Amino acid sequence: MYQKFENALLGILNAPAKKKAILWGTLGAFLISVAMIPTELVLAKMLPGKNNDTYSVYIDLPGGSSIEQTRVVSECVVGILQQESEALDVEVFLGAGSPLDFAGLIKGSHFKNSENVAEVVVNLTKKHDRHEPSYMMVQRLRPVIVKQCENITPQTSIKFIEPPAGPPTMAAIVAEVYGSNPEGIRHLGERIKGVFQQTEGLVDIDIMQDEIYDKFEIQVNTDKISRSGLNVKQVNDILYLAFEGMEIAVKNSQKATDQIPIFLTLTPEGKKFASRDKMAIEYKLAGLKLMNHMGMMVPITEVVDVVPVKSNPMIMTKNLHQMTNVLAETDMVSQVYPLMDARTMILDTFTDEYEINKIGLFNLELIDKKSGERYELLWDGEMEVTLDTFVDLGGAFIAALILIFLLMVVYYKSFVLSGIVLLGSFLSIIGVIIGHWVMDLFTADTFFLTATSLIGFIALIGISSRNSLLLIDFTKSLMVDKGMHKKEAIAYATATRAKPIFLTAAAIILASTLLASDAVFGGLGVSLIFGTIAAVIASLVVVPVLIDNSDLERHFNFQERKAVSIMEP
Amino acid sequence: MHIPPSYQPTDAAGKLAKGFIRNPLTPILGVFLLVIGYIALMLMPREENPQMVVSGSTVIIALPGATASEVENVIVKPLERKLKEVKGIEHIHGMAMDNVAVINAAFYIGEEKEDSNLKIYDKIMQNMAILPKGAMQPIIKPLDIDVDIPVLSVAFYANDPNMDPTHLYDHVKEIQHHINGLPNVAVTDVKGAKKHQFNVLVDMNRLSGYNLSLGQIVQATQSLAYNVPEIKGKTQTNEIVMIGVRNAIESVEDVGNIIVAQYGGSAIYLRDVATVTAGSDIQNFKSALVTVRGEDGKFSPLKDQITLTVSKLQGTNAVVIADSVKEELEKYKEQMKSQGISYVITRNDGERANEAVNELVFHLILSIVIIAILLIFVLGWRESLIVTFTVPAILAITLFIAYITGQTVNRITLFAFLLSLGLLVDAAIIVIENIHRHFHSPGAADQDADELMIEATDEIGAPTNIATLAIILTMVPMAFVGQMMGQFMKPIPANVPVALIASLFVAYIFTPYLAVRLLKKPDHHGGHH
Repeated sequence: MYQKFENALLGILNAPAKKKAILWGTLGAFLISVAMIPTELVLAKMLPGKNNDTYSVYIDLPGGSSIEQTRVVSECVVGILQQESEALDVEVFLGAGSPLDFAGLIKGSHFKNSENVAEVVVNLTKKHDRHEPSYMMVQRLRPVIVKQCENITPQTSIKFIEPPAGPPTMAAIVAEVYGSNPEGIRHLGERIKGVFQQTEGLVDIDIMQDEIYDKFEIQVNTDKISRSGLNVKQVNDILYLAFEGMEIAVKNSQKATDQIPIFLTLTPEGKKFASRDKMAIEYKLAGLKLMNHMGMMVPITEVVDVVPVKSNPMIMTKNLHQMTNVLAETDMVSQVYPLMDARTMILDTFTDEYEINKIGLFNLELIDKKSGERYELLWDGEMEVTLDTFVDLGGAFIAALILIFLLMVVYYKSFVLSGIVLLGSFLSIIGVIIGHWVMDLFTADTFFLTATSLIGFIALIGISSRNSLLLIDFTKSLMVDKGMHKKEAIAYATATRAKPIFLTAAAIILASTLLASDAVFGGLGVSLIFGTIAAVIASLVVVPVLIDNSDLERHFNFQERKAVSIMEP
Repeated sequence: MHIPPSYQPTDAAGKLAKGFIRNPLTPILGVFLLVIGYIALMLMPREENPQMVVSGSTVIIALPGATASEVENVIVKPLERKLKEVKGIEHIHGMAMDNVAVINAAFYIGEEKEDSNLKIYDKIMQNMAILPKGAMQPIIKPLDIDVDIPVLSVAFYANDPNMDPTHLYDHVKEIQHHINGLPNVAVTDVKGAKKHQFNVLVDMNRLSGYNLSLGQIVQATQSLAYNVPEIKGKTQTNEIVMIGVRNAIESVEDVGNIIVAQYGGSAIYLRDVATVTAGSDIQNFKSALVTVRGEDGKFSPLKDQITLTVSKLQGTNAVVIADSVKEELEKYKEQMKSQGISYVITRNDGERANEAVNELVFHLILSIVIIAILLIFVLGWRESLIVTFTVPAILAITLFIAYITGQTVNRITLFAFLLSLGLLVDAAIIVIENIHRHFHSPGAADQDADELMIEATDEIGAPTNIATLAIILTMVPMAFVGQMMGQFMKPIPANVPVALIASLFVAYIFTPYLAVRLLKKPDHHGGHH
């Protein structure tokens, strides 16, 4: 078998046309595989979804909603989750975050402390006993839950949080809107939210700003207060005491585990307003009386005015610039492509109000046509992390190439031979990309080119450069020590080295097959399997052709001696 | 060695082979390596994901009565500018709300946690003077992943929905104390707790009926609920006399019996104008609920629960801690059952980590077996056996080095092992293949087996070294990948090169040693290779 291979290779080396065909074919395969990335035949993502035994649901009602309203929405979500046969238990944390996890840490779950938020944690059966991966379950349940529960209170946002496969991020897509005018930022943020809602593949869209709701302000009439012999502190205290309540004293106890506070407030019935308007508030306040320093009772309404106002939304800044975030998650797709779609839509449709300039790679600058105010739209979140990671890994890859090149130059003292080794190892990318495309055809959900695929690719450079190295080494010893002709030496060396090359390749492929089935490390497994196949072909066919084209005699300081038959090395 | 014209190895490979091939310590070294590797695997803390160094602090400053934009101008902006002076901060997030300012400083990934916390604390304390009048003391909360993120959470719930929630809290509080005492447990916390409280709910109508104000009631209550320490006096003979002042309020009835006013000669008690109960903290809107699938497969209705969370100290084994907590809970199970309290473990990162690690170890073993089978077919079973032995030895060395450098066993470490598995059998395969070739070459029968081994090993030493070096070089740049992803992947550049270097040593030391004892020289004609 090796003999046949050797003869075939010798035939190729002796026919310049075949050599050319191989080199052009390789170039063609390289271009086709690389073209699969921009044409979206192979999709890139930082890390794919991971099959978890648990996930969370974050429920955010509009600001100013009560805990009772939040509870109703949470019960709706729990009701749907309870119908899942794979769910084991469901916890609800009303008004606060669930016990912190890594995703929650980045998403600010531990700061939650208001009546309009809740978190639901679902525990599922063990992943080995479950047919449906957690990410598929989330994808299936999301529309159902959103449809049934989001409309109970308008403007509710329900988000699904899965433990990430890698480092957590705030969201898959984060659009940071910077500007100096709060209303302008708010308006632009809302428009971007609208774009996200129309973009296919984006879900859990939310804008990180408080809703502006109606509230009432009690303005103290200072003139009347001093004339009634009262002070402002009394008024504030009594209002707080009546409606919020206060711990007015504590009692130490030997029996209880903590100090027992004595808490004073009005009865729940006494506290409730008839409705949410000025009249009802004034009516209720009229019942509250204050005692002045003369011992006379003064109704609180005598000294205050109730004025309806709008709530003050939270002001957010990042690195000293005022901003807001528009968040979106992706529904089992890579975040790169919806982001590009959304960006295109912004570029197309926002021209009615803004003049748009591109800054950086994807970021935008928007200038309000009327006021001339300047806003910036920067992308953050998983997108930014992906970009950084791929850039860093790309840098690592280039550094690896340079290091290997230098090592080869030191070893061979020849730039050409080192270049061939490098080129040969670079060809494994054909296998990596085509491998992902093939896997994508065979798997139900999208098989992404991920960061782990790139790690696999980097490892492959080392493996395939070793193949080329052993090949050149052997050719050299055949030519220098045994005095073989170049073409014969190459063909013989390739055929002899084919066995250990196949053997080590088989070891790598077999060791990687188990990886290929893993959700997170699948990319690495596929990279190694298909990349190794490509590397073997490259080492056994392309590299010999390339060596043959180079001036080996010069590189090896080779003087032609008497020819020796290849049959008797 | 004992044959005069002995082969002189030129490469380190041959020298190692020569040094160990007849050394009685070689098998002891082999066993020793396997043992320390096994010990390392058992002792190393297990985690699902690798540890990341994430530092940051949150500063919370309350300014009662200020609107969001006031807070923005007087607290957030000046403090943000000050924090900008701190080196190592990547992002500063400011949030100005009515009454309160929250500033969050996130450091670059990999910045030392203690240093970063200190820097922020220092900066805020230096600049206390710029805080506006009326601002409360800043609360500085450093981010601590190990302590903040619990590894275990348990939901306790009453079987009887009418049970007093504070009763449940008392029980959980007691268990919390026991669990906190377990080794390596850092923080325990409860969520959804309903604490004891005497509630005084004032009826507004009755209040106006007696023509009283809320202020009077507050004053009356405060004047009685005053605690003082014991009084120490002395007798004339200088003996100490202790006088304890009994608290006026001992029970909830005492609260109700407080006289708030005198009205026409008769006393008005607090219980006349208010409902006084010993209950739970009604002002706390936070609560936690749970629903559990029962034995009949149906979910129970949502019940109030208290979640107890347990976090571990940095660098300790989540698996061990989770198990000891579970054991501790078992002790109280019966006692709680009699009180009508059940519990369900809602998070167990220890178990999760253990499962992830065990699954990957299983994959690792399976891969080794598959490679062994492949080698049986290609090289023969003796050769396959030798190569298969080298893999655990290499992994043992790598594990031990990972252990002494303070790493943990996590998904990524094992993934690094799986990645290197295909690479690290290579050195052994190359050595054994060359030995095999030499054994089957025509002149082999006349040569001493030891000499053959050393020569075969030495011959491929140089190219194997350089090829392994090439692969190591590809891994090194990965150590410089930044951000969280870089931290996340760190076990790969940390372990793969170690495994590869170990693979060279193991291949040069043990392969010839085992080969000379296991392999038999063929009867002249040689094999079919």
